[in-house]
Amino acid sequence: MILFQRMAGLMCALLLATSAAAQDVRITTFKDDSTFTLNGRTFTVTRDQNTAATLQGDFARTSRACPPNCIQPMIAATGVATYGELEVLGFMETKVTDGAGLLLDVRNPDAFATSSIPGAVNVPFMTLTDENRFRKDILRALGAVDAAGDTLDFTNAMSLTVFSGGVWSSDAITAINNLLSAGYPARKLSYYRGGMQAWLHVGLTVQ
Amino acid sequence: MIRTTVALFVFALFICGLIIFRPFAEDDVVVQDPLGVPIEDTADVTRAATPDISSLAQAAVSAAAPLTIEPATGLVEAPRRIDVLRPNTDDTRLSDMTNNVLAELGFAGVKPVTTNSQAQRQSTSEILAGIEAATGQQSILEERDTLEAIVIAALRAGETDEDIDTIINDAAAAGNVAVPQILVTSDGRVDTHVLLNNIVSQAQIAAGGTAPTIPDATPENTQGMEVRVVQRATDAVQARFYTVQSGDSLGAIAITFFGSSAYYDVIFEANKGLLSSPDRIRVGQRLVIPRIDA
Repeated sequence: MILFQRMAGLMCALLLATSAAAQDVRITTFKDDSTFTLNGRTFTVTRDQNTAATLQGDFARTSRACPPNCIQPMIAATGVATYGELEVLGFMETKVTDGAGLLLDVRNPDAFATSSIPGAVNVPFMTLTDENRFRKDILRALGAVDAAGDTLDFTNAMSLTVFSGGVWSSDAITAINNLLSAGYPARKLSYYRGGMQAWLHVGLTVQ
Repeated sequence: MIRTTVALFVFALFICGLIIFRPFAEDDVVVQDPLGVPIEDTADVTRAATPDISSLAQAAVSAAAPLTIEPATGLVEAPRRIDVLRPNTDDTRLSDMTNNVLAELGFAGVKPVTTNSQAQRQSTSEILAGIEAATGQQSILEERDTLEAIVIAALRAGETDEDIDTIINDAAAAGNVAVPQILVTSDGRVDTHVLLNNIVSQAQIAAGGTAPTIPDATPENTQGMEVRVVQRATDAVQARFYTVQSGDSLGAIAITFFGSSAYYDVIFEANKGLLSSPDRIRVGQRLVIPRIDA
């Protein structure tokens, strides 16, 4: 009986010790980090372990003027999936790691240079309008190939997850609509609606 | 007694059964709904079978006669023209492009500027570098002829105006080059006259000459022009109109009325309801020509 009590005590102590060593702020109960590779480079995303942390700087702002920074709908376009943070991480771990997907930050280059989601690629939404005569070059870089009659074939094009500053930014939806009008298939596009602000709001790693 | 009761009960059950199940009734065919409209029992009305409203609307539009009458105003709308094929355009300003041509040709005091086209090319190559770093697949930004390069080469080679016109229009028709919007004419060509005129006038200004004066355009010396007196509350003003002729570009019209293609935006702004963009100019459009204070 005494032996049993000791063993139980030992197990309790062991359990406490492991939980103390593990992180306090995990991504989900059973996941404390997310690791993915992008062209040979490995990225690890965790959450800020400081439980007292709050948003700082520009992304702490709540009331940007609307217009132009108006609240965006949940669905970007018909057939385009809307993602939250876990879906974005899943996309990075599977599609991006396999080289079949890219996470697009469609904000302007200055904002991208300041900080962005690890592994994100900057394609400013303005460069995806049909006024950019180099748009086809960008689409080719994303895996589209020239097809008959001045069109592009998107069969082997990358799956894209598109985000911008936050739910107050129309840039991601504008980019998605421009990609759709260029012929990009809707099933290859996803919309991370929360964007940079939601990513920072839950303390996920930025680079 | 009890037998009679049981028999009556069984009979009542039988009658009830007949009423409920109606074994000998013919199949009910509802030919009328309560409002008296016959219902066809074959046509299932489902959402899928409902005709697409937008396609119906389109069919109605296409079935309409070429001339349609606006019900609200009673005005007859002209049939939509089939658009002419237009050269590719970009938002490079003609003045920037001309400036770079002059700088390249060695005009004293003319510094090259970054045109919108060059800026676009630069940002695109940065984006491609970013995608390349992520995918590991090299992508090459296609080299394209620029209008500047073609003009510089032609001027250096001493080509005549007609030859320059041919060279540029051939390149534009093949889709090899994008041109400033104000050079696109109503018949879908590149107005090299305006292009060359602009080079000359900017060269004069660069050499310390005066800017071109505003010409005195009158209906007598300008085909397609018309002047109307519009009575206002306090005074009467002369409103000028110009009907687009074949071969006109917005730059050419600006030269006709203001002496310089740089004033194209005065005309464009005044006619925004008619022109969706400066290259969308069509024969027969009646443009308002505002007056500017010299």
